[in-house]
Amino acid sequence: MKAEAPTLRMPGARAWRTGLLYLGLFAAFLWAVFPFYWMVVTSLRPESELFARPPSLLPREITFEHYVGLLVGAGFWRNALNSLFLTVVVTGFSILVSLTAGYALARYRFRGSTVLPALMLYGQMFPAVLLLIPFFLQFRAFGWMDSLWALALVYLSYMLPLCVWLMRGFFAQVPFALEDAARMDGCTRWQAFWLVIVPMARPGIIAVATWSMIHAWNEFLFAATLISSAEKRTLPLGLSGLIGQHTTDWGMLMAGGVLTALPIVAVFFALQRHLVSGLGAGGVKG
Amino acid sequence: MSRTGDGQGGGGAPPTRRRAPLSSVFETGRGARIYPYLLVLPAFVIVLGVVLYPVVAGIVASFQDLTLRTLSRGTVSFVGLRNFERMWADPVFWTALRNTGLWVGANVVAQMVLGLALALLLNQRVRGLGFFRAGILLPWVVPSVVAVLTWRWMYDPSVGIVNEMLVRTGLLQEYFPILGDVRTALWAVTVESIWKGTPFVMLLLLAALQMIPRSVTEAAQMDGARGWRMLVFIVLPQIRLAFAIAMILTLILTVNNFNAIWLMTAGGPLNSSEILFTLAYRYGFERMNLGLASAVATVLFVFLVVVTTVYLYLIRLRDEG
Repeated sequence: MKAEAPTLRMPGARAWRTGLLYLGLFAAFLWAVFPFYWMVVTSLRPESELFARPPSLLPREITFEHYVGLLVGAGFWRNALNSLFLTVVVTGFSILVSLTAGYALARYRFRGSTVLPALMLYGQMFPAVLLLIPFFLQFRAFGWMDSLWALALVYLSYMLPLCVWLMRGFFAQVPFALEDAARMDGCTRWQAFWLVIVPMARPGIIAVATWSMIHAWNEFLFAATLISSAEKRTLPLGLSGLIGQHTTDWGMLMAGGVLTALPIVAVFFALQRHLVSGLGAGGVKG
Repeated sequence: MSRTGDGQGGGGAPPTRRRAPLSSVFETGRGARIYPYLLVLPAFVIVLGVVLYPVVAGIVASFQDLTLRTLSRGTVSFVGLRNFERMWADPVFWTALRNTGLWVGANVVAQMVLGLALALLLNQRVRGLGFFRAGILLPWVVPSVVAVLTWRWMYDPSVGIVNEMLVRTGLLQEYFPILGDVRTALWAVTVESIWKGTPFVMLLLLAALQMIPRSVTEAAQMDGARGWRMLVFIVLPQIRLAFAIAMILTLILTVNNFNAIWLMTAGGPLNSSEILFTLAYRYGFERMNLGLASAVATVLFVFLVVVTTVYLYLIRLRDEG
C-alpha cells in the first residue's frame, strides 16, 4: 500500500465527498438537537412571548421566572429526591448482581450456563404492560402500593436481564489468565474475582451503570401505575402532572424538562465513550 | 497481606497452617461445584421471581374475570376464553391491531435505515466528529417523558413551531391540529418516536462497524471494491448480526413505547393512534378490567415471541446455509 493506486477520479471528487459528508452530519445534527433547543428556549421566554404568533426562533427577551416558579415550591425538589433515590438504589444493585452473574456465565460452564443468557434476552422482550398487571395485583395484595422500594425492585427486575447480558459480553474479553495467576499467589477465587477481575471489568460496569441510571431516572409507566401519593412522585410523573386539562403552563413544564434532562445528559456525556464500547462488546458480540 | 506474611516470616518455627479466608470453601469439592451457581443465583432469583412469575401470572390472568369488583369480593374465577372473545368483539381492538402494525412497521423501517445511514456517516474520519456524534445521540439520552412533552409543545395547534415551519415552507395553508386529527395523529407521534429511537440503532451499528477488522476492508479495497459495492458486499455482511439484534430491539422498544402515545394523544382522537399497548393499559387501569387487559397483553406477548423467534431462526439458518 505504499504507492497510491492510480485512480481515474476527478481531483475534486474528494472535496465533494467531504462536503456531502458534512452536509449529512450537519442535517442530522440539526434534526436531533432542534427539539432540545426549542425546549430550552421555551423555558427562558416570558409568558407573553410564549403565545406570540408566529413563534420566533430566537427569544427576544430572556427570563428565569419559570425556573424560579418551579424551584420555589417543594414539589419539584421532592420529585427530584425520589428519582435520585430510585436511580441510586437500582444502579447499585444492578451492578452488583450483574457483575457476579455475568462473570459466572462467561467463566464457567455449568448446568444452565447456555440457557440462562438466552432466557435473559427473552426477559427483555416481555411487553411491560403484561408485567404491570401481576405487579399491580401482587403489590396490592402485599400492601406494597405506593412504595419507592417496591418500585425499585420492579425497575431492577426490568433492567437486570440486559445488564447481565452486557456484563457477560464484557467478561468474555477479560483475560482470565490473570485470575489464575492471582490464585497461584494464594488468592481464593472469590478474592481473585474482586481484586483482579472486577477492576478489569470497569468499562463494563460503567456501561451497565449508565444503562440503568438512564432507565431508572426516566421511567414513567410503572411509576405512574404503582405510585399514587403526591409526595412519592418521581420527576417524570411530576412533569406529566403539569399537563393541565385545559391549559398548560408550558414555560414551567419546559423548565422542568430542562432540569430533569440535565443531570442524565451530563452523566451520559461524561461516560459515553465507555457506553459505546460496552454496547459493542456486550450487545453485538454476545 | 497477612497471608503472605505468614508464609515467609515463620523463621525456625514449625510451619503454621495459615488461616484460610472464609471464601476458600469455594476452592475445592462441593464448594467449587456450587460456586458458579451461587454467583448466578441473585440474578436468577430476580429474573425468575420478578420477570418469569409475572409473565406466567399475566397470562393466567387473561383467563380470569379479574376486575376491581371481583378482586375486592374475592370472587375471581376462571372464565375460559371469555376475555379473548370480548376482545375480538371490540372494534377498537381491531383498530389498535392495525395501528400497531403501522406503528411498528414505520418505526422499525425508518429507524433501521436512518440508523444505518448515521452510523456510516459517523464511521468516517473527519474533524469534529465527536461534536456531531454527541449531538446526534442527544435524543436518546433525553428522558422520554421530557422529549414527548417537548414534541407535544412543538405540535401545538395554535403556536407550535412545527405548524409555523410547515406553513412557511408551503406544505400547509394554515395552522392545523396535527395531534388532534384522526389522519395525522399516529404519524405525528411516529415522527417523535423515530427521532427518539434512531440514535440507539446508530449506536449499536456504529459499534459493529468499528469492529470490522481493517484487514477485511483493506483486502476488499485492493480488489477494487469502492463505494456502494464495498457497502453492500463487504460492510453489510460484516455487521449482519448487529443489524439483526438492533432490529429486534427496535421492534421490542417500539411495541413497548407507551410514553410517546399516551402523553401526546392518549390513543386519540377517536382511537386513531391507539396501539395494543395503550389499549391494554386503558382496559386495565381506566376501566379496571385487568383480565381483559391481560388478554390484550398476552396477544402482544405472543406476537413478540413469535416474530423474534422466527427472525432469529431465519438468521441462523442463513448463517449456516
